[in-house]
Amino acid sequence: MAAFLSRERIVAQPGFNRWLVPPAALAIHLSIGMAYGFSVFWLPLSKAIGITQPVPCPSGPTGLRGFFHLLVQTECDWKISTLGWMFTLFFVFLGSSAAVFGRWVEQGGPRKAGVAAAFCWSGGFLISALGVHLHQIWLMWLGSGIIGGIGLGLGYISPVSTLIKWFPDRRGMATGMAIMGFGGGAMIGSPLADILMKHYATPTSVGVWETFVTMGLIYFVAMMLGAFGYRVPPEGWRPAGLTMPTGERRAMITTGNVYVSEAVKTPQFWFLWWVLCLNVSAGIGVIGMASPMIQEVFGGRLIDLPGVALKDLAESQKAQLATIGAAFAALLSVFNIAGRISWASFSDYIGRKRTYFVFFALGTLLYALVPLAGRLGSVLLFVGLFCVILTMYGGGFATIPAYLADMFGTRFVGAIHGRLLTAWSAAGILGPVLVNYIREFQLDRGVPNAQAYNVTMYVLAGLLVIGFFCNLAVRPVSEHHYMSEEALKQPVRPSAAAVRTP
Amino acid sequence: MADDEMREPKPGQWPLVILAWILVGVPLLWGVYTTLTKAALLFK
Repeated sequence: MAAFLSRERIVAQPGFNRWLVPPAALAIHLSIGMAYGFSVFWLPLSKAIGITQPVPCPSGPTGLRGFFHLLVQTECDWKISTLGWMFTLFFVFLGSSAAVFGRWVEQGGPRKAGVAAAFCWSGGFLISALGVHLHQIWLMWLGSGIIGGIGLGLGYISPVSTLIKWFPDRRGMATGMAIMGFGGGAMIGSPLADILMKHYATPTSVGVWETFVTMGLIYFVAMMLGAFGYRVPPEGWRPAGLTMPTGERRAMITTGNVYVSEAVKTPQFWFLWWVLCLNVSAGIGVIGMASPMIQEVFGGRLIDLPGVALKDLAESQKAQLATIGAAFAALLSVFNIAGRISWASFSDYIGRKRTYFVFFALGTLLYALVPLAGRLGSVLLFVGLFCVILTMYGGGFATIPAYLADMFGTRFVGAIHGRLLTAWSAAGILGPVLVNYIREFQLDRGVPNAQAYNVTMYVLAGLLVIGFFCNLAVRPVSEHHYMSEEALKQPVRPSAAAVRTP
Repeated sequence: MADDEMREPKPGQWPLVILAWILVGVPLLWGVYTTLTKAALLFK
């Protein structure tokens, strides 16, 4: 069975159409992208016992005993804040599993990684379904959070090096297509989950565990189809009529290959780590606050009541604003995925370094302009700024694999990308913490709610300035880091001695 | 030239390519449409 999944068994025959590989990658990324949409379950799960109303927990033990009690208690409903830990688990385990298993993915091949990802991600749904049925939060955290999170990491990096090898002329576009799927997964999964929960809901069930089982099975089929659709190109394969960039852009694309453990010793890896971390931190920061921010900054202006602050509105008017906030978040998610494919494809023409130059230079300007849009009371300008910012957030994710391939070669780019994704995990903590603490600090100092985000935006712009200089510092990798010719001929892990001596 | 011909995809695979893209494209477009419908409230 293992041999059936191995890299050697999926080498494409002559005449294979490389355009079959991106949909295979999309099938996997669209499935695991549902991680972003898990909040659709929080409200129903917060009343899984009470059905119509949450059942509050009686006061019980505190501290560590309280935590263990929370894990196994069955008498009251879970709080949304408790359920929200799932996101932290997702992104911590995505980054760490991509880093730990990246080399295995590269050696075992994309099909093996895709199948493992399908079992982890779908298995996580089934374990979570059991957790909901038995009302055991630890089973949900273990199932979707930890096991599912490992599936996220494996699935995310599974197609990267394969796509880059199939599209040496359009590396950015190829990986952009797959990573667009990760951004788009929640757009399919959230409304589907909503439909399923309504279908399964009964007077005694909110319909979540049944939805988990159904979605787990759907994702398993989709991911297995994707995994079995993967093919790797024969060694040395090039598309007919291949033309590579010339001039300055050519100088930024290596002809050698750097082994994964050697890559992490180079300054280029760490500059790119910070490039991703800072771009994502700023983006995650604004995604998290976009909905409350538009409501607090513009208040009544959003419903034709200019000059009325959010806190002075009636409850029904606040509900209208919440709907507008949700609509704003939905619009941003569309620009997020549009940016993934468009910026990554554009990077094939202008080069990766110049693309990030635009992200950081234009991004700094746009983040700094957001407070001005608020002062001017221009909703259109505010929305427009955020839409462009979100394209660059998505573009940052989608362009980084091609940047790594340009720097370190295509041989171990999947594994190197896996290591780099720890920057995402770090950003997942840094961005929201920074935004929330700065906002709280501003409010504590008596700054009005509508202006509490201004300093935050300037700080996020500052992060992008640092990212700008990190990107500027990226130079081609020195040849002494390249793998030797002998090492390149070996199909499996080369030894450290395989690195060229200067 | 002969080498390039070996690298050209077989014409018979294009229907499979179209089918594969429909299988992933239709759900994605449905998701984008649903999201845009929700986002349209922002402009009402």
